[in-house]
Amino acid sequence: MGRDFDSGAPGASNTGKAAGREADTGIYEKPAANKFTERLGSLADAYEMYKSEGTSLSVSFENDRLNEIRQGESYGISIRAVKQGKIGFSYSSKPDEIDHVAQSALRMAPWGKPYDYKFAAKAESRHTRPYDPTCGEISVERSVELCENVKHIIKSIDPEATADVSIRGGLNSTRIATSRGQDCREDESGFAYFVSARISEEGNFLTVYRSRGSARVIPDDELLAQARETGQEFKIARKLLPFSRGTYRVLFAPQAVADLLLPIAVGINGMNIARKTSRFVDSLGEELFDKRISLEDDPFHTDAPSGALYDGEGVPAQKRAIVQGGILKGLVHTLSTAQKCGHAPTGNAQRSVSSQPAPGLHSVIMAAGDTELDQMYRDTEGGLCVSQLLGTFTSNFLAGQVSGNVSLGFLVKDGQRAGRVKNCALNVNSFDVLKSQVVSISKQREWVGGEYLPWLLIDGIGISAR
Amino acid sequence: MNEQLIDLAKKSGADFCEIRIEDSTQTSINFQGPELENVQESHMYGGNVRVAVNGTWGFVTFNNPEDLPRRISEAVRNARAASARSKVRSVLAPVEPVQAEVRLELKSDPRAVSLDEKIRLFGGYNQRMLDSPGITSTNVRYFDKLSSIQYANSEGTWIARECADMGMGASALAKKNGTTARGSAAQGGRDDFELFRGMDAEMDKAAKAAVEAASAPVVEGGTYTVVCDPNLAGVFVHEAFGHLSEGDNVAEDPRMQEVLKLGRRFGEDYLNIYDTGLDVGLRGYLPYDDEGVPTEKTWLIRDGVLVGRLHSRETAGRMNEKPTGNARALSYRFPPIPRMRNTCIANGPHGKFEDLIKDIKLGIYAIDSAGGQTNGELFTFTAGQAFMIRDGKVAERIRDVTLGGNVFDTLRNITGVADDYNVHDSSGGCGKAGQMPLPVSHGSPHIKIKDVVIGGR
Repeated sequence: MGRDFDSGAPGASNTGKAAGREADTGIYEKPAANKFTERLGSLADAYEMYKSEGTSLSVSFENDRLNEIRQGESYGISIRAVKQGKIGFSYSSKPDEIDHVAQSALRMAPWGKPYDYKFAAKAESRHTRPYDPTCGEISVERSVELCENVKHIIKSIDPEATADVSIRGGLNSTRIATSRGQDCREDESGFAYFVSARISEEGNFLTVYRSRGSARVIPDDELLAQARETGQEFKIARKLLPFSRGTYRVLFAPQAVADLLLPIAVGINGMNIARKTSRFVDSLGEELFDKRISLEDDPFHTDAPSGALYDGEGVPAQKRAIVQGGILKGLVHTLSTAQKCGHAPTGNAQRSVSSQPAPGLHSVIMAAGDTELDQMYRDTEGGLCVSQLLGTFTSNFLAGQVSGNVSLGFLVKDGQRAGRVKNCALNVNSFDVLKSQVVSISKQREWVGGEYLPWLLIDGIGISAR
Repeated sequence: MNEQLIDLAKKSGADFCEIRIEDSTQTSINFQGPELENVQESHMYGGNVRVAVNGTWGFVTFNNPEDLPRRISEAVRNARAASARSKVRSVLAPVEPVQAEVRLELKSDPRAVSLDEKIRLFGGYNQRMLDSPGITSTNVRYFDKLSSIQYANSEGTWIARECADMGMGASALAKKNGTTARGSAAQGGRDDFELFRGMDAEMDKAAKAAVEAASAPVVEGGTYTVVCDPNLAGVFVHEAFGHLSEGDNVAEDPRMQEVLKLGRRFGEDYLNIYDTGLDVGLRGYLPYDDEGVPTEKTWLIRDGVLVGRLHSRETAGRMNEKPTGNARALSYRFPPIPRMRNTCIANGPHGKFEDLIKDIKLGIYAIDSAGGQTNGELFTFTAGQAFMIRDGKVAERIRDVTLGGNVFDTLRNITGVADDYNVHDSSGGCGKAGQMPLPVSHGSPHIKIKDVVIGGR
């Protein structure tokens, strides 16, 4: 494990998250006798090495019963090597073939992308992120017991519900070293749960779920509270209400808000800016959205499941405004797209060890509004609350389109969700609705994957229905 | 090696044990706009052990297979620790043990084509689209993957299988008045690199579709009669019925067993749906599944009536049905679960495309697919291109057409099935339980569906 790689790349090492504790195992092991990076440095004009390894354990309940205990071990190394001004890339998951990867990257280089920017230079992050080693010590017995408790909560609310639960914990270490002296290492911990209540009966297939990830082990109480919420929403959704097509005021729950934000994420992507396919090519500084909308990319948020001290190219990540008071403030770049656009790097290269970097957000934090959620339900009277949309990923995000079946939506009556509506779909242009149709934004927010989002009440949403 | 693996599996002490070792190499090429964004060679190497103890699976993945006995012990230990609470026994439908070696049989080997030539070929397609009037950007992706998989289990099955998978996706983007629209082309297969040559006309069509769509109106939302081309109809049957047919939806859910009772009518007499692993050359071709079960052609609906489903050994065992060879795993990192292969609507009695549209006063002709999703009962998918149908004729182009519906209603609402079956692979794949993209195929003739909900303005 890691013995084939020389940690003696030019420059000092920057160790993320592990600061203050011994970092002497795994890929932090002392250099092997043959200094791999020196050899690579002598063959390539420039290089970047990305190494990742991790372990994980998950416990899953399906159909009300324990189904699987999964234990994973992952390893990967990739190299970008520059020869005669072009970048070659190669990857392997086989632990003993770093030399093969280097040779392959060099062999690919003559056909590769021009090296018209520079790999990351030595730079140290001054931030910290939470690291919880107990994520790597998940107990099978304990997790099974917790899953059982979740199941009992859901079934105590509706005995006809089928419960699916999974709990996953793991640790991962990454290291990025470049010929320009960057050598950053990061330990990451991760914990995630998924809870769902479902039923598949004639005329009503229903799945209600909650999921959340964190860099720390999530307390049992939160998981059990989410199980209760899931069960309660499930119970409401079992009542089907008639519904007809029309234009409605719609309360988008955080999960559906995440769908509405996808066109913005695609629009600020440096690749689409560089290719001039984004609507935001010349829009920095323009007021494009409602003044109450502010979005921030925060790689260091203590509760976020995603984030990093360094991005996928070893550039220190930054907390940055994307939209502030409705004004477009930030784009997201890799080193390559930043160079193409003439912008400063933003530390937003996202990648797995097996892929080349592409621009992406770390963790989107949307500013809370000033309206209580209860009030927003009252303000939605006669309208819909949309919790989940189906198939939105096929939409034309570059044009702002978000389109999908309403897989979990509720008719709102007397200030609360009265029952489920189904067989209906929406097709909105996010750029338009987030500019001029926002009624209110909730004080409350929830994590949806790596995003922390409020509820949005939006006017004038056309809903198609059978 | 085969005896060693079988021996290790037999000695696990679990109710059942299987071992998979996989070695794959992949070459990837990606042009974005005028640039060759990525040329990549990847080597994926690793394995897994899966054991069953009292109905609970223990599953361990690794990159270094040298210490297999330890991996087996870990899988068994985990499953045992958890299964103390389990009241369910392990059930796997019986199959005859198989000893087989499946070697590559290629019509045209991608390894015989130099990287230089591949880059010229796909770069040429990219440039052709870029040179088309009105195109602002392009994306061309190609991959070929050669895999060698060894499988052994505690029942004495050992299979060494080589396989190839190739795919290409091309898209052209056009922008007009702030609206960006896409046109696309694709190709895929398992045994013939020559399929990827001679695609200039497809590139021209993709560019033309993008330019025209950028100035086309967004469809008016509502309920329409929709005619789907074979590609979109194939995606429809995959999303709308194929996933519903996967045994893990049904095996342990008495309500679903009632909903999906064999013998239940799902459509008109002319509706026939099957899933097959036998179509050599297609991406859905699979001689043995990832539990070592020989694949077959599995009828799902015959003459409008439900007659079958897609099983792993576990789901078949729990339902006292026959395994169908549908247990598939994306790679060694995942356990096999019921998945589709090549899912098809068979030819019907309603003639050609022109016959399907001639009586439609106002409808939509939906072509190709930009993807789709289902939750079992509801589905959404987006057409790659679409046109209005007016007074029995294809009329103006429209854009951003998303079709949504209820699977059960929609199958009943198929009012026409033409006799022009076609299957055309792409570079994409199917996603389920975090396993994506799994190579699958789908085919169909043109079909006509009434009362489809279209999300629009």
